[in-house]
Amino acid sequence: MKQLLEILEDIQPGVDYENCTTLIDDGVLDSFAILSIVSELEEEFDISITPVEIIPDNFNSAKALWDMVQRLKEA
Amino acid sequence: MSLISMKFLLFVLIAVIGYYSIPKKFQWVWLLILSYIYYASSGIKIVFFILFSTITTYTAGILLHKISTCHAENQDTNRSFRKQQIISQKRLIVVTTLILNFGMLGILKYTNFVIDIFNHISGNQITFFNFLLPLGISFYTFQSMGYLLDVYWERYKPEFNFFRFALFVSFFPQILQGPISRFDHLAHQLFEQHTFNWAQAEVAVQRILWGFFKKMVLADNAAMFVDGIFNRYQEFPGLSIIAVLGYSIQLYGDFSGGIDVVIGIAGLFGITLKENFKQPFFARSISDFWHRWHITLGTWMKDYIFYPISLSKGMSRFGKFAKKTFGKKVGRTLPICAANIVVFLVVGIWHGAAWKFIIYGLYNGLIIAFSGLMAANYQKWKKACHINDKSKLWIVFQIVRTFILVNISWFFDRADSVRQALIMMKNAVTHFEITSLLNGSILETGKSVQNFSIIILIILLFGCAIVFMVSFIQENKIAVQQVLISRPVMIRWAVYLMLLFALPILGQPPTSSGGFIYAQF
Repeated sequence: MKQLLEILEDIQPGVDYENCTTLIDDGVLDSFAILSIVSELEEEFDISITPVEIIPDNFNSAKALWDMVQRLKEA
Repeated sequence: MSLISMKFLLFVLIAVIGYYSIPKKFQWVWLLILSYIYYASSGIKIVFFILFSTITTYTAGILLHKISTCHAENQDTNRSFRKQQIISQKRLIVVTTLILNFGMLGILKYTNFVIDIFNHISGNQITFFNFLLPLGISFYTFQSMGYLLDVYWERYKPEFNFFRFALFVSFFPQILQGPISRFDHLAHQLFEQHTFNWAQAEVAVQRILWGFFKKMVLADNAAMFVDGIFNRYQEFPGLSIIAVLGYSIQLYGDFSGGIDVVIGIAGLFGITLKENFKQPFFARSISDFWHRWHITLGTWMKDYIFYPISLSKGMSRFGKFAKKTFGKKVGRTLPICAANIVVFLVVGIWHGAAWKFIIYGLYNGLIIAFSGLMAANYQKWKKACHINDKSKLWIVFQIVRTFILVNISWFFDRADSVRQALIMMKNAVTHFEITSLLNGSILETGKSVQNFSIIILIILLFGCAIVFMVSFIQENKIAVQQVLISRPVMIRWAVYLMLLFALPILGQPPTSSGGFIYAQF
């Protein structure tokens, strides 16, 4: 989780990632940020993220992102 | 049947009375019948095209689901081989259906453009085809293909009832100019049983009236000047800037007004469509503008073109190469910029078969890509200049800057050719002379009298002030419709009657306007 928070902070600093649960709904992350996160997650955790995964439920909070990473690592 | 005709309003009235009079379980059937009557009223031949899209997409959806279900039931020993086989079969179905549908759209819309290019290059004189362009083909094709891809990606199950699916594709209020709906948002509403609700109907009628106000008072009055200047741009070089500002008003009034009418009509049936506009002229960047203008096209492009291209294997390889060559941050952003340019190229082509639309799309794509690449530098510069992102002055600067950039793009959208757009852009900064605007000589109505011209201009400014005020309130997160509905009945009806009487007094009669701009897509 710490790695993930570092990635998020590097891509878009100044957001309370530990508590925010509306990163997509409130427009905190735009499509540039989403794809930058995907690119970093794929490299860092050796996973493959497909367009099917790009839904608000997976990107609205750091926890949701972490859950997606764990799920894709197990797949 | 134009949305702005008495015939259409009568059609809607009969539709609504029938909808709430018949047994509720047949309401969706009634909507399907009405949708096909509406569609066929523009020409019986064009029904073939919408049926083609409906049948091919419906069949593909069912086949995709069957293949997935068979795979889930058939867990034999050679799982990985079977999985690959399933993926190939599903991909074949999706690609074939996409080619059939986008192929149909492409042939009807772009054949003459391709022939024109070929004639220019080869020196041949191949004759153009006189194709029939079915009503709303771009809108229903995009809506259907969105459904297909969602079923392919197993976001939801397909619709098994052919007639229900046919209603999703053809729902009459939105077929002419969108919004482009998603199956998981619209379908269940179409098939649910609805009871008439006065409050809901009042909100819907409010929205329809507001849409007509924007269309008749803003768009059609602005069109009188805009058409006059763009059609005779060499005679009036000093009015280029007025022309493009007028086109901003015309296009916004026309398209967003039309969408207001569509959303209002759907609301009369108890159906909530997605919003397509969110105060676009308060946008603080071009990217922000596209999040507020034609929203459903933007989200369609994002979900079905931008993300798939950005996450493709080719783009992933390009990303790795870019990271090695240009460093982590630029390398990470470059593939996104490339995908973005492709998306806006498609947006441009979607708008029409002409070079000017391709340039229009690329212009938007390149600005957004450049902004993406420069984002980190902008942050540094802002910090160095002590610019506070939340300062009102900075926000106003961003809004004005975006408005200017958007207006530059409108030259390509409205002019007849790239050459005309460039000449008018040059004239906009080198010439300024408004006498012909005030003396009425640019009006193409035959009523070229000075007073008429000034009256139209005053009405236009008055209409703009009202729409700006409402937009400003909405931008400050106040739901204007809800505020109005909570007022006493006398106040509400005073507002409705004022709007109703404003239409024939301040607006242009529907017979003199050429219908809705986006209805040609």
